[in-house]
Amino acid sequence: MHSSGIRLRRGEHIWLWVLLAPTLIGLLVGTLGPVLAAIGISFANWDVITPPSFAGIANYQRLLRDPTFSKALINTLYYVGVMVPVSTVLSLALALLMNQKLRAITWYRTAYFLPVVSSTVAVALVWAWIYSKDFGLLNFVLRSLGMNPVAWLSSTKWAMPAVIIMGVWGTLGEGMIIFLAGLQSISQSYYEAAEVDGASGWQKLWKITLPLITPSLFFYFIITMINAFQTFEQIYIMTRGGPVNSTTTIVYYIYRNAFRNFKMGYASAQAIVLFAIIMVLTLIYWRLQEKWVVYDG
Amino acid sequence: MNNRFKIVVFLLIAVMLFSACAPAATPAPQQPAAATQPAAQEPATGEKVDLTFSVWGDPEELAILQEIADDFTKANPNVNITVNVSDWDTYWDKLQTTLAAGTPPDVFAMDAPLYPDYQSRGVLLNLQPYIQKDNFDLTDFYDSSLTCYQTADGYYGLPRDVQPSVMYYNKDMFDEAGVPYPDDTWTWDTLIEMGQKLTKDRDGDGTTDQFAIWADLWDMELYWASAIWQNEGEILNADYTKTLLGEPADMGAWQYIYDLIFKYKIMPTPSAAEQFGDPFESGNAAMTPAGHWVVPLYSKVDFNWGVAPLPKGKTRASIVNSVGFVVAKDSKHPDESWAFLKYLIGPQGQAKVTSLGLGVPAIKSIANSDAYLNQKTADINHKLFLDTMDYAKVKPCFKGYDEWATLFGDGMQSVWLGEAELKPTLDELIPQADQILAEANSK
Repeated sequence: MHSSGIRLRRGEHIWLWVLLAPTLIGLLVGTLGPVLAAIGISFANWDVITPPSFAGIANYQRLLRDPTFSKALINTLYYVGVMVPVSTVLSLALALLMNQKLRAITWYRTAYFLPVVSSTVAVALVWAWIYSKDFGLLNFVLRSLGMNPVAWLSSTKWAMPAVIIMGVWGTLGEGMIIFLAGLQSISQSYYEAAEVDGASGWQKLWKITLPLITPSLFFYFIITMINAFQTFEQIYIMTRGGPVNSTTTIVYYIYRNAFRNFKMGYASAQAIVLFAIIMVLTLIYWRLQEKWVVYDG
Repeated sequence: MNNRFKIVVFLLIAVMLFSACAPAATPAPQQPAAATQPAAQEPATGEKVDLTFSVWGDPEELAILQEIADDFTKANPNVNITVNVSDWDTYWDKLQTTLAAGTPPDVFAMDAPLYPDYQSRGVLLNLQPYIQKDNFDLTDFYDSSLTCYQTADGYYGLPRDVQPSVMYYNKDMFDEAGVPYPDDTWTWDTLIEMGQKLTKDRDGDGTTDQFAIWADLWDMELYWASAIWQNEGEILNADYTKTLLGEPADMGAWQYIYDLIFKYKIMPTPSAAEQFGDPFESGNAAMTPAGHWVVPLYSKVDFNWGVAPLPKGKTRASIVNSVGFVVAKDSKHPDESWAFLKYLIGPQGQAKVTSLGLGVPAIKSIANSDAYLNQKTADINHKLFLDTMDYAKVKPCFKGYDEWATLFGDGMQSVWLGEAELKPTLDELIPQADQILAEANSK
């Protein structure tokens, strides 16, 4: 409180807690409780229906020799590794475009933001149609360009790229908004000074815009990465993890184990491992930010 | 924040919280009296009873099930029934969550292969005492419809319909190719021989767009289980502890299917089939094996079609599965639930569902009645399905079925897509499958 320069008066403390209560209770009951419970369940054999029994670290040992889990892990890394950088670069490019003073710019911005507020399930159904082999929009485009159509969702090679494309598309709007906010907070005086010095457009982009937008880049990268590690709906709707587990991500595999295979304990162990992976990567990013993130002013 | 992971986490949480709070989820035998001595608990007349009834299916089925529920409540005005219909995946997610929370639907649908996983976990009501009390006649049910539901201490579920697999064929394509319609003389060799005449590139673009046969190879029920039995192979050993899909007879059947796709090219790969939706319905396949449930769908196509027995291999074989209904052990109204279940699978309920053409009634006298044989759904030989019952084998039902079946369904895709060889794929899958069986049986 002191650092912010605001001193609470008597009686205000109580309001502080009253106003925070809904969020705090929500967090405790809705997030912390289940997280703790999941840690507990990961050490149990539990089929969801009959009472659990203690399993020690058997669920974790099992992870090490489960080929499907390894595959799910690799698939998840593939998804994250491609989707996050592509989404970041494209959203930034989009934000730069949308930062122009064009006619109907608000309309364009809205159009690009729409996927973010649309239900992933509904959107995934539309994409399933876009990807369908004979009647799909995408193959129609490929054919009209003289290329061979691709069986997007039923090929082990193309199913994951298809899921990634949809993932990128779904996050572009979010990135665009974050980057737009970042771009618009850059003081015009830097550009004016650069122009006086005769800087070209590229120089302004590389020397002013990019360095000053690194806080947004950092934020977007980390949020998108965390989300990407947890991708589920588009896989559930479009591919069911197939063909041949080629799109089975960790969260989809967790779902299969918990709700289809009667292995809630094993699923919880996977969830804990996923949590650990995300946390470690987030910490690494956090440390690295000092090296490349520029905070203006 | 994101909501992808949250859906799963939320379900996990919901399950945990509810199971922690609801005493009903603990195995405390709250209603042993009802289960063992139904006679002692006659429903108090006039007392209002609310039952929930859950099934998977489509809106058409909802309509007919609602009608059945309405008929039942007309006769039992004190009972109110809420019918819930979900798609297949949602249905099982919801069922597990509500079972864990101690608030399952009173009466719900069960797929026979999945039944052991639920029955063995003690969440289903033993119907045996009710069957005995009411002298409910099971002798007229097809034996194969009862096989899966029968346990050492009686029935925890009863079947509504049976789904023997037969061959659907497009008469127009056969006429055009000058091939005689398939009949009981057809063998594996006939299929290949005639199949080549039925496979065509209609639009001349260099790729086949009319295949002789299309079979979904994900679920064993559509074709591959029948093929294995036709080659005198077995899928699992008798006590469901060992997967036999790599045995020589089984390999012969796999190879036959493989050859249909890759050697004779009279069957599309899954990715080639995908573009047509259901290739038979879209007029891109001359034949397809399936149960009776496709009749309502195929009754809307604009070509002539009929049904024939599956081609004979070393022996004649087909597969039969059945959908049934069960009562939750935690149901607060076991008597009314039983009464409703009895109505659902009884003559009136079966006759009504039969009128939709979605299945063959599990009761022989109804299967042999006008309601089934002269149904208005499609003008085909409905009796063929009854004849198929004579030799159709029951689709395996065992603990761990879903995980086991998914392993093969998805795992074999790499072969059918032409990306992997048969033997190495099976060599990889079978130990994993046996591991699943070992684990399922250890509990």
